[in-house]
Amino acid sequence: MRVLLVEDDAMIGAAVQAALRDASYAADWVRDGQTALDTTACQHYDLVLLDLGLPGKDGQNVLRELRARNNPVPLLIITARDALEQRLRGLDGGADDYVLKPFEMAELLARMRAVVRRKGGSATPMLGNGVVSLDPATREATVAGATPVQLSNREFALLQALLLRPGAILSRSELEERIYGWGEEVESNAVEFLIHTLRKKLGAATIKNVRGVGWMTSKGA
Amino acid sequence: MDDVKRRISSYISTSLRLRLSLWLALAISCMAVLAGAFAFYSAFQQAHELQDDMLRQVATLASRHQLATPAEDRADDHPDNDSKVFVQQLGAQTAGGLALPADLPDGLQSVRADGETYRVMVLGGHGQRLAVAQETSVRDETARDSALLTLIPFLILVPVLLLVAADLVRKVFKPVLDAAAAVDARAEQDLQPIGSAALPSEVKPFADAINRLLARVRLAMDEQRRFIADAAHELRTPLTALSLQAERLAATSLPEEAQTRLATLRQGIERGRSLLDQLLSLARVQEPSDAAQTQAVPVRQVYRQVLEDLLPLAEAKQIDIGVIDGSDVQVIASAIDLATLVKNLLDNAIRYTPQGGRIDLSVYLRGTTGVLAVEDSGPGIAEAERSRVFDPFYRVLGSGQEGSGLGLAIVHAICTRIGGNVNLAYADTARGTGLRVEVQLLAATP
Repeated sequence: MRVLLVEDDAMIGAAVQAALRDASYAADWVRDGQTALDTTACQHYDLVLLDLGLPGKDGQNVLRELRARNNPVPLLIITARDALEQRLRGLDGGADDYVLKPFEMAELLARMRAVVRRKGGSATPMLGNGVVSLDPATREATVAGATPVQLSNREFALLQALLLRPGAILSRSELEERIYGWGEEVESNAVEFLIHTLRKKLGAATIKNVRGVGWMTSKGA
Repeated sequence: MDDVKRRISSYISTSLRLRLSLWLALAISCMAVLAGAFAFYSAFQQAHELQDDMLRQVATLASRHQLATPAEDRADDHPDNDSKVFVQQLGAQTAGGLALPADLPDGLQSVRADGETYRVMVLGGHGQRLAVAQETSVRDETARDSALLTLIPFLILVPVLLLVAADLVRKVFKPVLDAAAAVDARAEQDLQPIGSAALPSEVKPFADAINRLLARVRLAMDEQRRFIADAAHELRTPLTALSLQAERLAATSLPEEAQTRLATLRQGIERGRSLLDQLLSLARVQEPSDAAQTQAVPVRQVYRQVLEDLLPLAEAKQIDIGVIDGSDVQVIASAIDLATLVKNLLDNAIRYTPQGGRIDLSVYLRGTTGVLAVEDSGPGIAEAERSRVFDPFYRVLGSGQEGSGLGLAIVHAICTRIGGNVNLAYADTARGTGLRVEVQLLAATP
């Protein structure tokens, strides 16, 4: 997979390029916006990593021009500026995601994989957080190292809600909305009951309770 | 005593309002005295003229009717003796009459007789001369009485005028005093120009000069804030390079001792990163608030959002963290400010709460105030330290924690910016442990 890195800082550029090569990407590194535009015009890339603070033509302009040329290449912004509106402008301008300096290589690689997956439309149907994974096709949940467990419809709906965004806390009413259709009568304690059965099947640590707020699955293992 | 005198005299010499009032009072009093004297004098004169006219008329009347004062009338015990008018033949010695010289010329004159001064009108004709006399002191007293009456309007008007003048001076100076009070009441970040439209044109140049100074101060403060933000941003790049290199180093096979040292190095880099983040937060929240960004923010949602971020830290220390049940409260703030505030409070609580401790978040309404409280089971903050912990980079000694020292400074800056209050107390007052931070913000009325 070929990646273009646009970064003016020599030390960061060299470190990221080397790390990308370690992770078996073919990584090209350019140091300014104009070269980045010229390079993307004659070479196909699967992903562009774009620093916003570039000399001459800055990252925002590169991004705008790239999208104006109808180049749909997946693009990740690297920025030292974290003012919220600036990040939003980056995403509005056609970036697929951003990482904030200072970042860790592991995080950058994870985001690169996610962006490529989303753009490629081949998002894996499996949900999971590293502790437990859920297969929507078979409604089977698997705790790492154990045999898959069959879940009931409601158990599945509840676990799916919690695994869509691991680390997010969902309140009781939000969970009730996910497991009951419109017009269905909500049974009291249904959420507690389902969590109890899920914990029994998958282990107590899979679903965590945050006092006064709701339930969550932990974010990555 | 001397000091008080000096201060009073310096106040008088520097207070424009007082000086104007004093000079006006002096001018009014002088004018009143002059006008009073003139009125008194002319009324006095007129009264005399009137009395002379009266003597003349009496004389004419008496000469026509051959009248002279009967002797018994001049008894001293007569009740109306003072105002008495004598009518007698000049030259003829009448009992009880006045001893007037016979050679008095015709007309009005003042004459001394019997030890008193008399005003005498002498009229010739019909062979005999008639004198009509009246005691001068009586005449003077009557004249003085009527002249004094003319002073009464002045006596009433002068105090009224003085009061009106003082009130007018006060009213004229009110815009200046109001402007001063408005500037006094400002928060230190508020560098908006002083409204000089209502000010008198003499004071306006001053206000304009102060406004220009304020603008320069604001520019300088903006520059300083921008410098902090820029410096922090700029530091991010080398820090990124550093952390990436350290990460790559960690990926190679290293001897165990090198790995331990590398872990320490990476912790140090992490500390630098969080310090930069805190510096940026502080620089951001010290900017004056943008009213467009404030809205009604549901507090429980912010709690949840911050808990999602910080739960891994709490889990690592096995801290039981939760929100006390109750109805939600909406406060007026910007969502980012409120999240930053709660995040710093919670981060502090997790940092200073020992392994296996407990942290409770709560929110409730107290009148029109939304109260956000964070209680932990840590050591708390001694009362003597409470006023200082809001200073940037101040750390409680012996806490053994590697915080940035900016958390509470950020909380304080946000409170100042959105018009709230922050109080510290012990969570367990009886035993003097645990920290309870209470933030009071204006609640949104539904």
